[in-house]
Formats: sequence, C-alpha cells, structure tokens
Amino acid sequence: MLNHIHRFIFFITLITLSLSSHSIEVIEILGGKASQIPIAITPFNEEIRTMGQVTDKKNADLQKMHKVIANDLERSGLFTSLDTSGISTIPDSDILINFSNWSALQAQFLVVGKIITIQNRLITRWSLIDIYKEKTVLSMEFSGSKKQYRGIAHKISDLIYKKLTGSPGVFHTRITFVKKKSEKIYGLYVADYDGFNQRAIVNSSQPILSARWSPDGEKIAYVSFEKKKPVIYVQDLNTGKRVLVANFKGNNSAPAWSPDSKKLAIVLTYSANSQIYIINSDGSGIKQLMRTRSINTEPAWSPDGKEIFFSSDRGGNPQIYKVNVDGVSDVNRVTFEGKSNLSPSLSPDGKLLLFLTQDNGKFRVAVQNLLSNQVLKLTKGPHDESPVFSPNGHMVLFTYKDYGKTTKIGTVSINGLKVTPLRVGSEAIQESSWGPITSN
Amino acid sequence: MKKSLLLAMLMATMVVGCSSTDMKESMGLNAPFPELTSQTAELSAAAIDELASNPLLSERSVYFKFNSYNVESQYSDMLAAHAEFISKHNVAVAINGNADFRGSHEYNLSLGQKRSVAVSDSLSGLGIGSNNVETVSYGEENANQECTGSACDQDRRADIVYVGE
Amino acid sequence: MKIILKLQDNYDIQANLFSFVIHFGLFIFMLVSIQWQMKDVYYSEVELWDAMPMQVKSQPVANKKKSADIKKLTPKAIKKQKQLKINEDAEIKLKKKRKAEKKAKIKRVQKQALKQEKIEQLQKKLLEQEKIEQLQKKLLEQEKIKEIQKKLLEQEKLDKLKESILDQDVKKEVRIAVEADQELFAGSNTGELNKFKAMIQQKIYQNVNKQLCGLDLVELEFEIQLMPTGELLGEPKLTQSSKIESCDQALERAILQSQPLPVPKDAKLFSKLKNLKLKFSPNAYTE
Repeated sequence: MLNHIHRFIFFITLITLSLSSHSIEVIEILGGKASQIPIAITPFNEEIRTMGQVTDKKNADLQKMHKVIANDLERSGLFTSLDTSGISTIPDSDILINFSNWSALQAQFLVVGKIITIQNRLITRWSLIDIYKEKTVLSMEFSGSKKQYRGIAHKISDLIYKKLTGSPGVFHTRITFVKKKSEKIYGLYVADYDGFNQRAIVNSSQPILSARWSPDGEKIAYVSFEKKKPVIYVQDLNTGKRVLVANFKGNNSAPAWSPDSKKLAIVLTYSANSQIYIINSDGSGIKQLMRTRSINTEPAWSPDGKEIFFSSDRGGNPQIYKVNVDGVSDVNRVTFEGKSNLSPSLSPDGKLLLFLTQDNGKFRVAVQNLLSNQVLKLTKGPHDESPVFSPNGHMVLFTYKDYGKTTKIGTVSINGLKVTPLRVGSEAIQESSWGPITSN
Repeated sequence: MKKSLLLAMLMATMVVGCSSTDMKESMGLNAPFPELTSQTAELSAAAIDELASNPLLSERSVYFKFNSYNVESQYSDMLAAHAEFISKHNVAVAINGNADFRGSHEYNLSLGQKRSVAVSDSLSGLGIGSNNVETVSYGEENANQECTGSACDQDRRADIVYVGE
Repeated sequence: MKIILKLQDNYDIQANLFSFVIHFGLFIFMLVSIQWQMKDVYYSEVELWDAMPMQVKSQPVANKKKSADIKKLTPKAIKKQKQLKINEDAEIKLKKKRKAEKKAKIKRVQKQALKQEKIEQLQKKLLEQEKIEQLQKKLLEQEKIKEIQKKLLEQEKLDKLKESILDQDVKKEVRIAVEADQELFAGSNTGELNKFKAMIQQKIYQNVNKQLCGLDLVELEFEIQLMPTGELLGEPKLTQSSKIESCDQALERAILQSQPLPVPKDAKLFSKLKNLKLKFSPNAYTE
C-alpha cells in the first residue's frame, strides 16, 4: 500500500516537473569504436622544369610519393586510405576543393600536393584538408634531392600523423634485422622502418642475434658467434667501429640498453645457468642483478630506468618477472596467462608490456596492460618472435613463420587490427629492433 | 632502526666491493675461448686413436625432450665412457647445448645452456671437475628452422666436443 | 523507487500526511463531480410514469332535462317541488361536495402517489447512479491493473533481453529503453523523447573513434543546437575537454559525421531536443 502511495507521489512530481522544466536534455554516449580515419591522398602532380621550360617526361618514382604516404598512414592502423584512382580531376592545391564530392566518398580528410622538379632537386607543396570543417589544416613546402623523395613523403606522413592523432609519427625512423642468407652467411642490416633502403652493417659467417638500437640512436649492441661462442659487441652507426664489451667465460648475450643509453643489462652463464648482470656500455663495471638456480634471461628496462623485466623458468615454464634495478627487492611475477611467456619489452609510456606468449602450442605476440593486467593477443602465430615497439608505442615489429616456411618480418598495429609485411627480400629474417625518433 | 641501517650499508658496500673485483677475476673478463687449455693436456695421438676406436666415445650427443634439460638414463654408459677418457688423459672438453627453433632465440640460448650444464653435472657426478669442462650454448642457431613435428627432435641436444679435435 | 523508499524511512509521517491530503482532496473532487453529473443526468433523462392517473369521469348534465320534463303543478306541489328541488339541490350540492371531496381526495392521493413515485424514481436513479459509478470505478481499476500488468510484462521482457544479450551496443539501447519505460509509467510524454535520445545516442556512438583518446578514462562534453532537419545549427561547442586534442577533435568529427540526427517531426517534442548536451566517455567498457 505504502509503495503504491510513493509511486503515486513520484508520478505527480514527475508530471509537474516535466510540464514546467526548461532544462537542456543530456545524452550520454559511453564507449566507442576502434575505427580508422578515412583519408584520401591524391597523386601529387609533377611539373618538370628544365631551364625554365615545362616538359612532359615524368619521373616514375615521384608518382609514388602519395602511395608512400598512404602506406605509412595505413600501416599505423589508425587510418584507411581511400582509393582515388577513379577520380577524373585531381586537385593539386587547397583551392577550389569540392567538399561535397569528397564528403560523398566518405573522406574525412584530403591530402593534395604538387611536385616541381628542377634537374636533381624537387620542391613539394602539399596540404592537409579537413572535409567536414571545410578548411585547410596544414599547408607546407619541402625541398630536397630527387633521391630523397621517400624521406620527404615520410616527413609528410609524420606531420599528418602528429596533427591528427596528437602522437609523434615514426615514419622517418629506421630498423635493424638479421638476414640469414645461408648456413654460413649472416648479415646485420639497417633499413627504413618500412624495409626500404636496406644496407648491411655487419657480415659474418656465424650467427648474429639480439641486435638492439641504443635509445640515443648512435649505437647498436648485438651478439655474435664469430668467436665460436656468443659474445657482445657495441658498434657505432656513424663510424662503423665496434667494441667487444662482453666476452666472459661461457655465454654472453641479450644486451638491453638502459633508457639513458649508458648501461647494458646482459646475460652471462659462466659455468651455470643464465643470469642477469648490468655493465657500462663500454664494458666496464660489471654488477650482478640477482642469482637463482633457474634461468633468468631476456632483460628489458622500464622507461623510467627503475625496473628490469625478464623471463625466468623458476616456476617451471618460462614466465615474465620484474625486479628493481638498485637495491634488494622482491621479484614479482608479471604474466599469469598462457603456458609460457617470453621476450618482454615495455612501451615508451611504460603502461604496456609487449611479449611472446605460447598459446595452444603457437607462439603469438601479445600486449598486457600493466594496470589492468588485461592481455590482448596481436598476432596469430604459429611461430611469431622478436616483438619490439615502435618509438611511439603504436606499432610492433616482429618476425613470423608458418610451418615449414621461411621467417619473414612485418608490423602489427597496437590494436591488433592491421598486420603488414615488410618487403626486404626472400631470405630468412630474425631478430629485429626499432630505432628511435630523430629530430631531423 | 639505525643499527640495522648501518648494518645494511656495511653489507651493501661489501657486496659492491666484492662484485667489482672478485667477479672480474673469477669470470675471466675478455677471456679467450676456450680457457681450459692452460690447466689441461692437449689431445695426444693415442687419445685421438682411442676416440676413433671406442664406439661409446664416438657417441657424442645427449638428446632431450621438448623444453626439458633432464639427462635420461639411456646415456649413462656413454657418459661413463667419456668421463673415464677425460680423467685418463686430462683433456679439455666443451659441451655445446642446443635447442629446436621454437621459442625466442635468447631463451633457447639459455635452454641450450641448461642442457649443457645438465651433462656437465652428470660428468661432475662421475668425478670430472670444472677444470676440464666448459659449457657453451648455441641455442637454436644450429637448428633446422624449417622442421615440423618429430623432425625437430634432433635439434634438442648437447654435444660433447674435445678441445683440439 | 529506491529514492522514495529511502524518503519513506526518514519522513514517514510527513509523507503519509501528504498522501492523505491528496487522497482527501481527490475524494472531495469525486463527490463534487458526482453531484454535477447527477444534475446533468437529471435534466437529460425523461421522466416516465408507471401508472396512468385515474380519469375522473364528468357527470352527465341530467338536471336540465329533468327540469324540462316537469309540467305545471299546484302551488303545494310547486312548494313540494321547490322543497324537493331544494332538497335535491342540497343533495346535489352535497353530492357535488362529496364528489369534489372525493376528487380532491383522489387528487391528493394521486399527488401523494406521484410524490412517492418521484421519490422512488429518485431513489432508483441514485441507486443506478451508484451502480454506474461502481462500474466505472471497477473499469478504471481494471484498466489500471491491465496497465500495471502490461508494464510488468514489458519489464520482464526487458529484463530477459538484458540477460540474454552479450553485445554492449544493445545493452546501451536497453538501458535507455528501460529508463524510458519507467518514465512512461509516470505517464508523461518523456517516452517519445527518450526514444529519440536513444536514436541520437546510437548514431553518434557508431562514429566515435576511441583510438585517438589514449588508454585512460577521459570525459568530454559538447553542446549542440539542432535544426528541424536534424542538422546542426553552427558548430558543436566543447564545454569539457578530454585534455587530449586529437580526442576532442575526433569526437567533434563524430558529431558532425552523424548529421542529420534523427529528430521528431512534432514541433513541441522537437523543441525539447533543440538544445542538447552530449557527454562522452570513449574509453568506458574497455575490453
């Protein structure tokens, strides 16, 4: 009876309120979609000027500039580039844009550009246009040699990326990978992040492992078997000179740069199982991090330099643990899902752990949110390896292999939606690393 | 509170002190490989003959199950023969650990090492000291990268290699 | 309901008093209205008499004829006749008197009967009235019960739907539908309003790209003005930023991309949706 009475009162007050209220209606929209920004990147029209005259001979490479930009943005997993091949009149500047046409194609943004080539030089004028707001967002001009057309395109991609996502772009960065050309020919290569412009910096008849780019971008540390056992070298990228930093008795491997590029965490065995040590990047001042009966390997620094994550089989199957760098602290287990978890590394903001997980016999790349401990598997396997973050944390470089096939290299976007291979040749690829963002 | 802090500081300095000096020496910084030759004898011609003639000595590999480093009993005779040979001639031996390609290269390097150590421990149990034995791992670097199923079994092994052969 | 139950705990007496007052007022209202209705009924109905009144038959005029037949008589006879006449007259007069009395009596009786009838009629009417009211009451109650049953059924359906659904998107729809349903019970026009709010919410949600909003729980607010076509009047106004520029921009794009928004055709209802506040929390329900 009482309940009935109160419903009645509720009813009366509601009527009076709704009849008399002039308040603004509120709509709550919770959550969202992991969708991609549709962007149309039109071919950049080339205008060749020789001695002041305009000719018709077009440079095939420069026709690809817009495709380099489109591939960059697509690879990131945050953009989808629209096919502009069916459009008859391509604008080459932000004047006289037919916004309703582009809007009808579902484009949210438009990139237009023009290339003026004078002998070996080129000038690129381009604009980024917002279709909904009907205004130009960015408009710039770059000049360089014709050979640099890819670099210029990557720079344009970076600027578009930064403007629309707020994060720095990584399209100008470089990567390393090891190519196994045969049982007796190994090469350590440096290339553009998309696999182009590759060149070998080390050639060896013995295996090369664990190449790691220093955070300051100057050096690469790697493991070589040229002395018939694993030892660690640090090679200067500018000079090509290298220093043997670790040749202790037993194995020397798994070099991991500290965030300030001054130290390396390494793994030594001496006469026992793998243990983690910290050494200065010139090879001096060795200090043991810890010692147990089990395997402790694959050290990775947290971005604040305070913790080291590593893999260990102290619990039976390998799992990922972490420990403080200075002083004595507890070792805490980090991964709990999956039979085995290996190869840890941290995202630039320290929030995500990237690793390899064994799932139903398949090795897959996964990320774990270190706050919520939720795990997202990014790749399918069956033999994925060597996952490393891009310097903005939005992409992962990794090697993958199908049953009985050669290992290849590719990228996956951090949301797991976009997997794109890198075309670097038909040889087996192992052990990749990603270089830092440079301010050039 | 203060007392324990002082104690901790003392211990810390001791540890730091220990690590910077003892460690380098005992670990042989920048030691060439192998390091055992100074304390052991070279392989004589007779020893080489014996290696060739004894069937047990020509067996050099211990095989392991997936993700395992357990030396199985079937290798007892073989290891006993090698132990006898080593102590007889006081030669240096390297045990090379290997793993199949599954998993990461670095972890497989550690797994190979663990297998090598397991064999070394077996030899140690048979009276062979660390002066004669060096453990090394090749991880998956010698493995068949394209194997499937049981074809990968042969990659999971530790090899006995005599220094100088 | 919960709020009200809580109130009940704290303000028991006041609430009961208030409810009593309301009920009393309604009761008065009921009485007054009934009387009004009665008057109406009274005027509109035709009064029917059950028994016709007794007709009083008129006396034949026989005296004149009689006096016409009488011949010349002796003075004695004349005296006698006169006496007779007087007697007759007196008798007649008496008779008349008696008749008149009788008539009057009958009339009186009839009047009384009439009155009785009237009273009976009135009483009957009262009874009928009461019956009708009772019926009406019953009908009202039945309707109320039906409505409540309907609502309970719908509530059940919605609850079942909630349980069987795994898709988050539909969960959101249901949540708004349930709220709309509760408001429907309240009886106002808010049901329709909430229907459009749900449609607008769904359409904009489809365009929210949360990838540009980082990993943390950020909240944003926009204010928009709509035209009857569903398109925006002017630009969305950012009233609470997520502190991430790309996120603010992405959500502004989501709003612009959702045009035209579904709006009601009814002018009165549209006026309620003309100005909207949109609250976003793009990283809610993270996987």
